[in-house]
Amino acid sequence: MNVIQVLFWILSAMALVSALMVLLSKNPVHSVLWLVAVFFAISGHYILLNAQFIAIVNLIVYAGAIMVLFLFVIMLMNLNKDTEPQKNIWMKLAGAISAGCLLMILVSLIKQAPELQAKTAMMNEGGIGLIANLGKALFNTYVVPFEISSILFLSAMVGAVVIGKKD
Amino acid sequence: MNAIIFSVIGGVVMMFTGIITQQKKAIRNVAIIALIILLLANIFDTYGILSIHIGTHGMLNFQKFGLYFNTLAYAATLLFILISGADVTQIGEGKHAAEFFALIFFSLSGIAIITSYNSLLLLFLGIEIMSIPLYILTGGDKRNLKSNEASLKYFLMGSFSTGILLMGIALMYGAHGGFEISAMKPSAVSNEYGILDPLGLVLVFIAIAFKVSAAPFHFWTPDVYDGSPSVFTSFMATIIKAAGFIAFIRLFDNKYVELGLSWRIILPLVIIATLLVGNITAIFQQSVKRMMAYSSIAQAGFMLFAVFAENDMAKEGILIYTVAYSVATIGIFAVLEKMEDISLAGYNGLAKKHPLLAATNTIFLLSLTGIPLTAGFFAKYYMLLSVIKYGGSTVTWLVIVAVIFAAISAYYYFRVIQAMYFKTGNPEVRSYNKGFCFMLVILAAITILIGIFPTIILNWFYF
Repeated sequence: MNVIQVLFWILSAMALVSALMVLLSKNPVHSVLWLVAVFFAISGHYILLNAQFIAIVNLIVYAGAIMVLFLFVIMLMNLNKDTEPQKNIWMKLAGAISAGCLLMILVSLIKQAPELQAKTAMMNEGGIGLIANLGKALFNTYVVPFEISSILFLSAMVGAVVIGKKD
Repeated sequence: MNAIIFSVIGGVVMMFTGIITQQKKAIRNVAIIALIILLLANIFDTYGILSIHIGTHGMLNFQKFGLYFNTLAYAATLLFILISGADVTQIGEGKHAAEFFALIFFSLSGIAIITSYNSLLLLFLGIEIMSIPLYILTGGDKRNLKSNEASLKYFLMGSFSTGILLMGIALMYGAHGGFEISAMKPSAVSNEYGILDPLGLVLVFIAIAFKVSAAPFHFWTPDVYDGSPSVFTSFMATIIKAAGFIAFIRLFDNKYVELGLSWRIILPLVIIATLLVGNITAIFQQSVKRMMAYSSIAQAGFMLFAVFAENDMAKEGILIYTVAYSVATIGIFAVLEKMEDISLAGYNGLAKKHPLLAATNTIFLLSLTGIPLTAGFFAKYYMLLSVIKYGGSTVTWLVIVAVIFAAISAYYYFRVIQAMYFKTGNPEVRSYNKGFCFMLVILAAITILIGIFPTIILNWFYF
């Protein structure tokens, strides 16, 4: 077992435990924090697969922005144990069955997919996920759409100021 | 490329003008000058003089058709700002005049992109750049609850259609392995992924149909057009809507229509639904502004004929239709902006008190109906002729249906004329100056001139 495998098992265990804790913790704020931990573990996996860019974006966008948004919503709605609606047993059963079906489909798909059986994940090789390569594609082939999207953000910014400014 | 660059520079200049001065007249004059420069830059670009070339890796394909449409759209915007620019500066207590103009310029750069795109990536960016400023302009009157509601509705529905557009683009990318529409041949797709291509195209179709408010994706139109400030409704209903059709025509250009018979069934259904919803609902409206919203849906039905026929005649037709429809609608909304009461009863007796407003308004309404000697007649004529050229006797029924709906539309347009001339009332009109009257006469003159010589637009196209 080399370092990468050790890291893989640690990150996987971390991701699974955190994902379980998201479901099991009673306090919604704790759930969100555990979800952040899940994203960190998955980002670790991405780095092992030599995909720096996705790892960073996953952290910034999901763990950073979206989870903070989640926290804000939860705090605004003031959810705590007392207000949590008690779901009946049928709801739980229906949820378990539908989630179980999804799990079964995913597992059987992965087991049957011929593309996946021949290949293993690329470790320490393959440059497609590196930020340098992405930058080269972005500033050569896709430079026009890249620059044009700045117009989009500029107009969105002007709009935000017009709508949000107090007057 | 000139149009994109100069319109963005125009937008940035307007933003800085807002810092330097708060004088509304100065802001409006800067906007007019920037727009004239943009118009000239685009005309030069059309003939290859002083044009800026940037290697786009085939993502933008500047053709004469798209560039000429830009010229028409910018000229229409110039007319719009000349006649309604003063009203734009008044909206929202006049605190954001420069920003509104900046947003209009950004929207124009979106138009320049979607008239020349060759890559679906740029179609997406162009549609977004065109729409996002509109969401803001719709909510420009911040103190007005109806304006807020319209803005939120437009934004939510618009984001939803953006999601559909992206899904469609993703599916088409999956089928073809690239974004370039000129390289997309339905026959090149392997059977394994065969379903992805038409499915993606239908989703993209739905998203653009939403933007041009074709039924059954029109539900946002009446509320948004009714709620937003009248001047911005005028801009949205004319220039932006026409640009949506250019996006359509470019998408289905280069024989991409050879998808099969099914495509030829979807489009007539959408066209008839659009004509039906637009015309029939417009009859029951009491507010002229809301009636114009439904009328714009009905006109979109006619413009869809160009997408259906997809031949040279259709391209010429959509250019004439753009000018005819834009000029008439801008004129009607300019008059509407001056009315205190925008219900039908508010127009009662306008001819006695303000004969010029009533007379020009009548010409615009006649043009929208499609009466001969006005531009609207030739606009509809070219549309129907292009369909006949495409399909011959197999599409006669479609043409007959369209003509029947055009006749129905006369009813609600003529009701306004009837109110102005044959009813007595005391209409309250906001003060207007000589320049406004002059511009109204110019718009009416353009309408009649094109109605007599429709080829003056096309001569420039082939020049």
